[in-house]
Amino acid sequence: MTMLSERQQMSYIAAQAADARLNVELETEGMTLNIGPQHPATHGTLRIIARLDGEQVVWAEPSAGYMHRGYEKLTEVRTFPQVTALINRIDWLGSFANEVPFILAAEQLMDIEAPPRAQHIRTILFELSRIANVSLFLGDLGVQMGAVTPVFMAFRDREYVLNLIEGATGGRFHPNFDRIGGLKDDLPKGWLDETRQVMKKLRNFCDEIEDLLFGNEIFQSRTRGIGVIPADVARQYGLSGANLRASGVDWDLRRDQSLPLAYDKVDFRVWTHPDGDSWARCWIRLQEVREATKIVDQLIETLPPGPVMTKVPRIIKVPEGEAWVSTENPLGEMGYYVVSKGDLGPFRVKIRSASFNNISITPWVLKGVYVPDIITILASLYFILGDIDR
Amino acid sequence: MSDTDTDESTPVVDELRDEIVARLRADLGDAVVDVYQVPQVDLWVRVTPESWRAAGEALRAQGFDYFCFLSAMDWMPSPFGDGENDPTEEVEEDPVASEIRQGYTGGDTRFQMLARVTDTRRHVSVTLKADLPQHDDGSMSIESWIPVYAGANWHERETHEMFGISFDGHPDLRNMYLPGDFEGYPLRKDFPLLARLVKPWPGIVDVEPMPASDNDEGDDS
Amino acid sequence: MGLVDRGRLPAPLTKLFNIGRSYSMWVYQWGLACCAIEMGAAFGSPRYDVMRLGVIPLPASPRQADLVVVSGTVTDKMAPAVKRLYEQMPEPKYVISMGSCANCGGPYWDSYSVTKGVDQIVPVDVYVPGCPPRPEALLEGVVLLQQRIKHEDMGARWRGEGFKPIVRESEPIVVGGGPIE
Repeated sequence: MTMLSERQQMSYIAAQAADARLNVELETEGMTLNIGPQHPATHGTLRIIARLDGEQVVWAEPSAGYMHRGYEKLTEVRTFPQVTALINRIDWLGSFANEVPFILAAEQLMDIEAPPRAQHIRTILFELSRIANVSLFLGDLGVQMGAVTPVFMAFRDREYVLNLIEGATGGRFHPNFDRIGGLKDDLPKGWLDETRQVMKKLRNFCDEIEDLLFGNEIFQSRTRGIGVIPADVARQYGLSGANLRASGVDWDLRRDQSLPLAYDKVDFRVWTHPDGDSWARCWIRLQEVREATKIVDQLIETLPPGPVMTKVPRIIKVPEGEAWVSTENPLGEMGYYVVSKGDLGPFRVKIRSASFNNISITPWVLKGVYVPDIITILASLYFILGDIDR
Repeated sequence: MSDTDTDESTPVVDELRDEIVARLRADLGDAVVDVYQVPQVDLWVRVTPESWRAAGEALRAQGFDYFCFLSAMDWMPSPFGDGENDPTEEVEEDPVASEIRQGYTGGDTRFQMLARVTDTRRHVSVTLKADLPQHDDGSMSIESWIPVYAGANWHERETHEMFGISFDGHPDLRNMYLPGDFEGYPLRKDFPLLARLVKPWPGIVDVEPMPASDNDEGDDS
Repeated sequence: MGLVDRGRLPAPLTKLFNIGRSYSMWVYQWGLACCAIEMGAAFGSPRYDVMRLGVIPLPASPRQADLVVVSGTVTDKMAPAVKRLYEQMPEPKYVISMGSCANCGGPYWDSYSVTKGVDQIVPVDVYVPGCPPRPEALLEGVVLLQQRIKHEDMGARWRGEGFKPIVRESEPIVVGGGPIE
């Protein structure tokens, strides 16, 4: 016995029937979702176009170019010091690391070497920029998953590192400190003691993040087994840095290359992980920050005295030739192919940026995942827009 | 990094790179046009444009599993100058400076392909170059490297939009960075930077003379 | 009641409304490039806290924002999105252009794909120079904007005449120096 009148019952049945007819004709696949270019979850202006079938991705592609500033064309009309000032801004979180391969390539062309103290300090600043970069990654990782607290801790602890870099170079980021033949200046007094304290603080930060984020059950279930990239696919696409090591490939340019930086004078461990999923990539970056603090500690103890700049002419003309130098930047392998014709500025610079290759794998890896996993995978691959778009 | 620590009578030998070159020549034969080696430092190989993909496959078979980058070079000196000189100065015509000269391993064409692959086991890399002959209508094309290294997809798209080179066998050759209605190929040397044409850079201006001293070489600030 | 748009709001009440508006802004961060990190440090880090000025970051959408801080390089591909974002904001709205890329194109002044300054697309109220400007510089920009709002003629804005100051000889607008009240 129902409370509804017969007329109400009939209209209800008619509505159900109409719905049933409609559901047969409704398309449930082929919805195109546009993530970005301005979106809190993308590290900048990356636009992802995803075609969905319900909640699963059928096809997803990033559309880059919203931060394309034309670096390779701009370097052709600038002198070497001007190019050094400009390329700081490619990977804008760990910016000293961008200058180093370019300066090393120019020094290779000029056939000079920076004095040992300069090489040492370059390495210290390189590792500090790695710490600054990856500690923000650890904070942002939480934000991508929805955990807002770690990012405030990351900004707070990053301030210590930025203070150090500012104390030595004068700029919080974009230091523009490297010069062909050495560095602009020596370290200020008391900087080394300060660095020791800051490294201790950063190790505490890593422990905090590990407790807060990596031990969290939600974080683990959202990252384990998501976005698995096998090792041979990773190598084919040219993934580098922590992404490659997370797939089990033991390749670290600091150890496997001989460059005039002080890496051969320190002991450090190269972390790899066999899984190749998002969890592995995030975990390896955490270990790399810890390892970087240990490297800085060792480098501080063994800093040799001496000058920081060799004798170079005031206006530098780099002789004709081509050189390639790549280093293990915080984002991956960053390299510069410098072609010089004996002028004040380079003839052509090809910038091989790590995130370009890292993100080129997304159409392959984003097939069949769910929509929240798009964000997780992109967060774990870790890109900086300036690095993709140059 | 420099090999000047040995005396000039004993040349520095690089067996690994010699072996790589020997195997390449065995696989490709005449397609290997030129080789330039800085011992213990780096290796450049130039191949014919028809064997571009075959060279990639030969390297991959040798163990070069890691794809670094792929791009192109425009060897013509820019007709707009290098932007560093005072625009009000008189510029003398310098025929030597305005001819097209290719770099290491030479070449015949204005455009050249440039690619680099790495062997993660033997810790060595090779830079590969190839000439790009222009067809009658000015276009250029070369085989795509996608069957050899899947990561070449995006690199070829970028090279296509920056230089105007088309890749045979690329499934989806569209613009990577530039908006769809962009005209021209930016990285070609005859593509002007309009802001510099409108307002040229005033050139290197010495704001104040260096203080008169003996050590005018050291740049210690 | 129509008092604001017809200009019939008495001056003390306008002053009160202006003070209220300037201390309750919701700022939308349009963070594009490196300046976005300094903006994040200014807005999101405990050291250079912006909330103590009465300006709260992280609105849910541009439709709820009063102020937008454009920080970073604006490329030609991105410019339509900036315009669309600006149009989505309801009046009264203000724009702070942060960093030299957003002010005038910055180090990429000669690039083929960079918009030389965001003021080619949207009207800008405060320019904060620097590459990147320190977080304190951005906070000074915010404070100067607040000063500007306090002297604003709301009627003129409502009628669509843009920003017009309430003309009072004793209250100059100090930009780039002078005492902060």
